[in-house]
Amino acid sequence: MKLVAFVSDYKMTVDTLDRLKPEKLGIILVQNGVYHATTKEKGKPSSLLNYSADYYVLQEDLETRGLSGANVIDSKVKVIKFGDIVDLMFNEYDKTAWL
Amino acid sequence: MGKLTIGCFASLVGSTNLDFAIKLAGAAMEKGHKVDLWVSGNGTMISIKDQRPFKDYSSLEKPLKELMAKGLNVTACEACAESRGYHHDNTLEGVKRFSMDWYLGSCFDADRVFHIGGE
Repeated sequence: MKLVAFVSDYKMTVDTLDRLKPEKLGIILVQNGVYHATTKEKGKPSSLLNYSADYYVLQEDLETRGLSGANVIDSKVKVIKFGDIVDLMFNEYDKTAWL
Repeated sequence: MGKLTIGCFASLVGSTNLDFAIKLAGAAMEKGHKVDLWVSGNGTMISIKDQRPFKDYSSLEKPLKELMAKGLNVTACEACAESRGYHHDNTLEGVKRFSMDWYLGSCFDADRVFHIGGE
């Protein structure tokens, strides 16, 4: 199963991801979840960035929070738009999850 | 091209899940996909007509109407709507009201299903 998980909040309690074992995992950071891509706590980036997954962050949700691609602290997180989300859902993954 | 079914179980005021669902539906339609949108719980508020748009407040009636005019298929959970006092007479034209069976049926022949919210 190829799963793309949408993380929509900046809570550290995303142990759901620990329990997911897809053959391919994508993580798309949306809404307040974008802070996982831009924020360090005690000098360390979010633990959510430690999974073996392809990472994406929604540009529009960065911008509504006064952020941009320049604020993304890990280059493996790709900045995308809604149209890219549609392409990822249809072409790269077959299941979705909203966390 | 394919079919995308979006189920949006929006939360309270301030939740941007409905906004997200509408924008994603628009992006998918722009790519040529067919989109069914199911709204449940507080998401049924999108089915009420004549909502007043305020500057710094999410107002989705206009974009929703535009997408429906282009073929977006929108259905609200009848039970969720009625339990919130949203009746036939104040339902936005073009928004259908059915039981959850409609959502399941839509998912059944969709290429992708995306269930948003529920928090």
